Amino acid sequence: MSRLPAAGSTAPAFSLGDRTGGQIDLIEVAAPGTLLFFFKHDCDTCDLTAPLVVRLQDALAPSGLRFVGVSQDDPSHTTVFVDRHQLNFSIALDSELHVSDDYGFDAVPALVLLGPDRQVLASYEGFARTDLAGLIEFAAEQCGAETPPIVTESDGLPKMRPGCGSKAHNPDVAQRLAVRRGAAVLSARRVRVPVDDDPFEFLAAQGLGDGLPVVPPTEERVLRMLEGTSRSPSDVVAHIPPNLTPATVEKVAINAVMAGCLPEYLPVVIAAAEAACTDEFNLHGVLATTYFATPVIVVNGPIRDEIDVNCGRNMFGQGFRANATIGRALQLLVRNVGGGRPGDVDMSTLGQPGKFTCCVGEREDLSPWEPLHVERGFSPETSTVTVFAGEAPRAIRDQLSRSARSLGASMGWCLETMAHPKLHRMGEVLLVVSPEHARTFKADGYSKADLRARIQEVTARPLRDLLPNDECQKGTVPVGLPPDWKGPDGQPTEEALARPVPKFKQSSDILIMVGGGTAGKFSAFLGGWASGTMGSMAVTREICR
Amino acid sequence: MSESLVILDPTAEQEPIGRHPATRPDQLTGPLGLIDIAKPRGDVFLNEVERLLRADLPDLEIIRLRKPTYTKPSPSDLRAEVASRCRAVIQALAD
Repeated sequence: MSRLPAAGSTAPAFSLGDRTGGQIDLIEVAAPGTLLFFFKHDCDTCDLTAPLVVRLQDALAPSGLRFVGVSQDDPSHTTVFVDRHQLNFSIALDSELHVSDDYGFDAVPALVLLGPDRQVLASYEGFARTDLAGLIEFAAEQCGAETPPIVTESDGLPKMRPGCGSKAHNPDVAQRLAVRRGAAVLSARRVRVPVDDDPFEFLAAQGLGDGLPVVPPTEERVLRMLEGTSRSPSDVVAHIPPNLTPATVEKVAINAVMAGCLPEYLPVVIAAAEAACTDEFNLHGVLATTYFATPVIVVNGPIRDEIDVNCGRNMFGQGFRANATIGRALQLLVRNVGGGRPGDVDMSTLGQPGKFTCCVGEREDLSPWEPLHVERGFSPETSTVTVFAGEAPRAIRDQLSRSARSLGASMGWCLETMAHPKLHRMGEVLLVVSPEHARTFKADGYSKADLRARIQEVTARPLRDLLPNDECQKGTVPVGLPPDWKGPDGQPTEEALARPVPKFKQSSDILIMVGGGTAGKFSAFLGGWASGTMGSMAVTREICR
Repeated sequence: MSESLVILDPTAEQEPIGRHPATRPDQLTGPLGLIDIAKPRGDVFLNEVERLLRADLPDLEIIRLRKPTYTKPSPSDLRAEVASRCRAVIQALAD
């Protein structure tokens, strides 16, 4: 978008060289003023405009108006243009394009009429007859002269003609200029990759990746990434465990670049980091456990479609950039900023593929229920992330159930295997209901509450059957039972032994979302880790841009 | 490649604080802290450790301590208690 200074604003000062080794300054503008004419040699619209500027110079230079051409070309191409149009005013060379960038126009020619104190009196880019007429009128008025008859009924000029792209917008130049403009906002230490080193190998050798190549976080890429958020680069997003070091928006952006994120994903990564670094989520524990848990990120709300978070076919799989990189960015933050590395603080016995990345969206359009984030207190129009400390997805296969009651039983029995079938009174689990299964529930008018109740019903077993015994020494241990279930010896009472105990401590621990492709009567669940206030609880945060 | 690439440091840019384990005592003198990290059956393990220690070292002062949960780092008051009261600690991981 053009940033050409509008009338009333103050134009940037500059000092540029010319073709003879001299210097042309625009610092103080003497009355009556100065006209700047930005051009490049291979631009038809510049060719259209140049003779008009020459005629304006003939008319108003005698009244003191100063004319300065600013060329975007090197000296030789500048000379081609100057000779072609017999320009006899000062020509400044802006081959580095810094002044063009400061003036911010998208196209050449760009004309800027300045009064004293570099106040802009008129400006436009490209060619528009009315703009030119207005500028000429201003210039004449400024000089106290008659308006020269340049734009007339018989001038043969087109009504308008688009300009040619400013060279400052050439992709390679634009990146360089963006760094010049924005590098000051970046405070991270600069690291110079040795000449002849492959940047990918260099980053891997520094231990800054996750085993897959990372994108080198150059200033250009990080500045582009920061365009994805309105937040200041120096804002602290969170203190990242295990070292509890502050992660600024800039550090999040650097790691998002490395993960392969697009700028529009950055607010999601920021929200996920905020959510994961809460006491409730307990990222330190999630990271340090020998168990399988890792942050599972669920995206809800309008942003899913805007940034194309896959919530359909293969949603936990490969092939979708948002899914692949948002989760990866959070993992890299933990590794690089928080200092959490496998084998060090990360003590997971087996780990799981989701520790590279795990980010999915909910398929809200095919859900018969209100989506996860609405259930958790947000409006449908709000975009959110929910982080959940989860295992890898596990299958629930049921192609035969045609009633919600039967399907609910299938889900319950599959869920009972979470961690261990004899472990009951468990905490949170994330149940991902596929669209085909969701349709079965919808047909029977089954609510989420009905499904939760059914799961608890079919998994409820007498405590006696769940205790460790000779058949299987694993089981629900008495230590975690409510005090009134136990006798003076700390062991369950006879009454408690007969009490049916469902899989989950409370039905609200069963988090339900809809997701996946429309073909396949398969759902999935992601088992939780130590849940509750003494472990990790799912946390939902609004995504703010 | 002819030009060297400049990248931004993705880390916290903090030098890790160098910490060295405390000097190990030549002999076990109290007070000795037995810390249960709150995993199931940690008490079973520590009870046995305590029984063996008391059999061998009847004069050893033993302090039993417990983390609120194994899922989180020790709270600062527990760390302060260990630092102020214990000459050595044994921490039990159980299950």
